[in-house]
Amino acid sequence: MEIWKEFDQNVITHSAAHHLMAIDDLMRRYGYARVSDVARLLNITRGSVSISLKPMKDAGLVIQDENRHLRLSERGQALVDAIKTKRTLFQRLFHDLLGVDTEQAEIDACKLEHLVSDETARRLVSFLRFVDSDAQQTRSLLKAWRRFDPSCEHEPDKCPSCDTTCMAEHLSDAAATQPAATRSKR
Amino acid sequence: MSKLTVEEAVAELDRVFAEEVEAAIRYLHLGSAVRGLDRLLVERVLKDGFQETIQHAEIIAQKIRSLGHVPKLEIHVSCPAEPMSAREALRQALLFEEAALECYQDLLRKVEGDVPLEEFVRSQIAIESEHVAQIKELLAG
Repeated sequence: MEIWKEFDQNVITHSAAHHLMAIDDLMRRYGYARVSDVARLLNITRGSVSISLKPMKDAGLVIQDENRHLRLSERGQALVDAIKTKRTLFQRLFHDLLGVDTEQAEIDACKLEHLVSDETARRLVSFLRFVDSDAQQTRSLLKAWRRFDPSCEHEPDKCPSCDTTCMAEHLSDAAATQPAATRSKR
Repeated sequence: MSKLTVEEAVAELDRVFAEEVEAAIRYLHLGSAVRGLDRLLVERVLKDGFQETIQHAEIIAQKIRSLGHVPKLEIHVSCPAEPMSAREALRQALLFEEAALECYQDLLRKVEGDVPLEEFVRSQIAIESEHVAQIKELLAG
């Protein structure tokens, strides 16, 4: 299967992930969640929440009781826990290791959290455990990484990472078309 | 007296305004999403639904203007390009009509004591309740 088509095979959409996390957040904060609370938290209409929740209720991820209070099913809660874990992993990878600023790391982690496979996330957990296992080793790794000169001559034939085209050049072009507010300050 | 300041009342009315405008857009889309013979069954209902929700949105906007403000509209609607049956379209309509009704019911609790606003919300609740009942009746058949 072509990889881009796998987006359609994903268990939940980005919007669904946020609805589930909103219910989880409200349950933790107030002990209950209603459609109106989810709408207010996500800053969307109640109608929109009701329509978005329908497939999640049909899929058994969200349960609505006779008082119209919402809660996550065991499977819904497991999905939320996995998404939250993946978000934390990406935030750590982007911010702590790569040095992306906090806000951008959070935005990018939010975009990826529900798309990445459990298998890749498990490898990321192992990698972070490796990094955290030896403080001295990590310090010297990060020191070397921060000392590394990120400037690029855009000469792929002399580059150890690029093949026939310069990866950095492509990304510079893409970054130039993004609104300034979405660019990393790094 | 109402527990709400004018600004708070306007913020609440802005929410209802968004519900109505979004419902109108959804009715418009549902009217196009139902195909085949099913269209004969619900085309009129969905068109009427569109007209009514747009009218409701206009009434809310007028109410906000009468309070000395300009309506604020913030909606995020995504309607997939998938055909649906008449029953499915009505089920969806019921979801957002019930949501709008609950929104008015909540608002009524908040505007208690402000007679003109209270009366206005009460009349909207009566209209919305009737609308919800009509859709339920169609779905029961």
